[in-house]
Amino acid sequence: MKKKTLLMTTSLLALTLAGCGGTNDAGTESTAGPEKVDGKYDPMVTITVGKQQDELAGKYKTGESLNDNVLTRWGEEELGIKIDTTLLGGDANNYNTKLRLALTGAEKLPDVVPVYDTQLLADLIESGQVKEVSEDMEQYMPERLKEIYDEFPNTFNPVTKDGKTYGFAIAPFLTESQVMLIRQDWLDNLGLEAPTNMEEFEQVLDAFTNDDPDQNGKKDTYGYTFSGKNGYNTSWVSDPVMIFSAYTGKYLPKLWVENEEGKLVYGSIQEGNKEALQTLRDWYEKGYINKEMAVLEPWDAMGDFTTGKAGIVLGRPWMYGTVSDLETNVEGAEIGAYPWIEGIKEDKTYQSGETNDGWFVFNKDFTNMEAFFDYYDKMYDISFGEGDFQYGIFEGYDYDMVDGKPTYNPKEFNEPMDEVINAGKMIFFKNAPKVNEINAFAKVYKGEEPENGIELKAASQKPTHIKGYAISAEQQDTLIPDAFNGVPTATMAKNGEQLNTLENEVFTKIIYGEKDIDAYDQFVQDWHEKGGDKITEEINEWYDSVK
Amino acid sequence: MHHKSKGYKAFTFFNTIFLIIVALLCLLPLLHLLAVSLSDKAAANGNLVTFLPVNFTVNAYSKTFTNSTFLTSIWISLKRTFLGTLLSMFLITTAGYALSKEFRGRNFFMWFFVFTMLFSGGLIPNYILVTSLGLKDTIWALILPGAFGAYNLILIKNFFSTIPISLEEAALIDGASFFTVFRKIYLPLSLPGLATVGLFIMVGNWNSWFDGILYMSSTDKYPLASFLQTVVVQGNMQDMQLDADSAAAMSERTLKAAQIFIGALPILSVYPFLQKYFVKGIVMGAVKE
Repeated sequence: MKKKTLLMTTSLLALTLAGCGGTNDAGTESTAGPEKVDGKYDPMVTITVGKQQDELAGKYKTGESLNDNVLTRWGEEELGIKIDTTLLGGDANNYNTKLRLALTGAEKLPDVVPVYDTQLLADLIESGQVKEVSEDMEQYMPERLKEIYDEFPNTFNPVTKDGKTYGFAIAPFLTESQVMLIRQDWLDNLGLEAPTNMEEFEQVLDAFTNDDPDQNGKKDTYGYTFSGKNGYNTSWVSDPVMIFSAYTGKYLPKLWVENEEGKLVYGSIQEGNKEALQTLRDWYEKGYINKEMAVLEPWDAMGDFTTGKAGIVLGRPWMYGTVSDLETNVEGAEIGAYPWIEGIKEDKTYQSGETNDGWFVFNKDFTNMEAFFDYYDKMYDISFGEGDFQYGIFEGYDYDMVDGKPTYNPKEFNEPMDEVINAGKMIFFKNAPKVNEINAFAKVYKGEEPENGIELKAASQKPTHIKGYAISAEQQDTLIPDAFNGVPTATMAKNGEQLNTLENEVFTKIIYGEKDIDAYDQFVQDWHEKGGDKITEEINEWYDSVK
Repeated sequence: MHHKSKGYKAFTFFNTIFLIIVALLCLLPLLHLLAVSLSDKAAANGNLVTFLPVNFTVNAYSKTFTNSTFLTSIWISLKRTFLGTLLSMFLITTAGYALSKEFRGRNFFMWFFVFTMLFSGGLIPNYILVTSLGLKDTIWALILPGAFGAYNLILIKNFFSTIPISLEEAALIDGASFFTVFRKIYLPLSLPGLATVGLFIMVGNWNSWFDGILYMSSTDKYPLASFLQTVVVQGNMQDMQLDADSAAAMSERTLKAAQIFIGALPILSVYPFLQKYFVKGIVMGAVKE
């Protein structure tokens, strides 16, 4: 048995270092590595990777699989790079478990390891198993990627230690801002306009709840559905954070934000939260908002909108694709996309946004950084709509050429399909990188002629979808990324979970009317005493060290 | 034997109602799942489906059965359950038979096995062991670590102990070997026990997902439960860079329902055949003492 593993490891190593003479598997420098002929490596370079498999990633055409699909074959044929997944995890939890097990030395770390957890990232760097990459980045990272990374310097915080860089963010990109989806037909029935501020928002909620917007003679509708199960800032879909921001400005619940003095403070305890809770409490009592919001996952909270019970839902612009089932379920239903309402405290409301989807680190013995960057850069062609990915990722997967023109509707493909196969999900870092998708939508929305694949694809979407993205592009400046992206501090590790639970519980009970509104003041006091002050101190120490 | 007293009638009445409720509690979720899997996508997403399909379609099933990963995983699960149950039963019955006899060192062996019930090395040593034995990425990584369960061993051993020793003595006098006694007397007489423990092991093998995710480095080696685990668990907040294509696909409840339902079917269909052993009871007396 032992012989077998040994054989496997050596053959893996040999494959990885293919072209380095094969038998000599230690200490060979990449200078003696494979030759690049017309952008293709010869002999083939194998890069072993780790992948966290999310639920959509398992979708391949019949006969294709994780390590043998249209994307891996493309890599082998076009670039001479073979991507081999040797460490696979299901959800975030068991992916992290497997990485930790690999760290114990039970097995070799893959060459490229995407990591989604800052604590694990710190442990990996600490273990000395991970490569210092600043030189490689300097030498091999293509110019266009350098420009992108320069825009997001904060994403290097968790991978920097003692002035050395041990990795970089995966596809840094500021997420799309959220939009407000409203039942346009309800507004029209009631002769209302889409709300633009808090006052109008409340009026619409009242009308949606009490004035029978669907005109069926029954009081079976309400205003606004959102999820409170994971706290009051999900930053994703079914988000109530706008209501908080209306009163708190940029201090969003659950977020660390820099205040006027340049210190990081915790959003949930800032001024304005109490008023926001008071408003939600009133609305809850009047039946304007989802009665079960505290137990609903974001995805489930949208359900009431999809069945025609609720009139407003907020989320990323792609959410329209999911709730548009409404138009099938309810006759005459029509969805309108609108920007967020204005705040009370400041002239706009803010949302939270993320800047990256995990980080890359590399096995310290990995010598093919150049090949990695070649591959990674090629993936960016998808988002720029260039090269092999001019019109989409793969013909017959996410687009097809019909009569010389690209089509993105899977039902019109040469071999019609129910849905497109998202080859972007086959990439080992979960998602195809994004750059300028929302700008393409904004351009199409303005009525300009689409030029490249990204714009053509945008133009093929439904009008509400396009409008949603266009609004999203306009609102980008309302996004606030969490200023703290370091390793959880000592006190955070100890008391963080407890404080989190306390916060969710107090907020929910106040909204549900089970606790007096003054319970909020008590919460703030408890938060300070039960470790919050210590955490703030530690986080600001961290902030000073990375600033 | 019927007691016609009021109290007895009332008891029977409430007992029946209670059992009906329990039965419904088991049945309804399954019915709901079936209804969702046979409904149209829009209705399922809007939570419109209860126990009857809305806009009937078998789309989810045709999609599931053309999904090669799903089919491979179901095959791996069947293989694993068959091999795993067979091996476990062999190990447990032979060990159980031996341990049901009096011999020197029996207590030591018993404690040796019980010890594994109380203390385990934990995840990391297990992983290192399985990996360095070269079992990773093979089906044996799923079967071997759990093949010899001390709890099941105790059940079987106790069952064997209830079989009258005189039976065995009679057979030995007639010239049977221990193996013949084991095969011809102990196993047939213990069918109810074997069926029960067998079902435990089978269900355990079928449902276990964590080992699949742990020891397999490619989805095409996942057993069904691991595959479903990655597919059915809802998307989490960390999936920030979703796009429209993914979002639409992500909400496919009908597909998930179909996959779960198909996943539950094999065990559901095995159960009725084992049922008769459960009702038969334990003692089938040949010798009365």
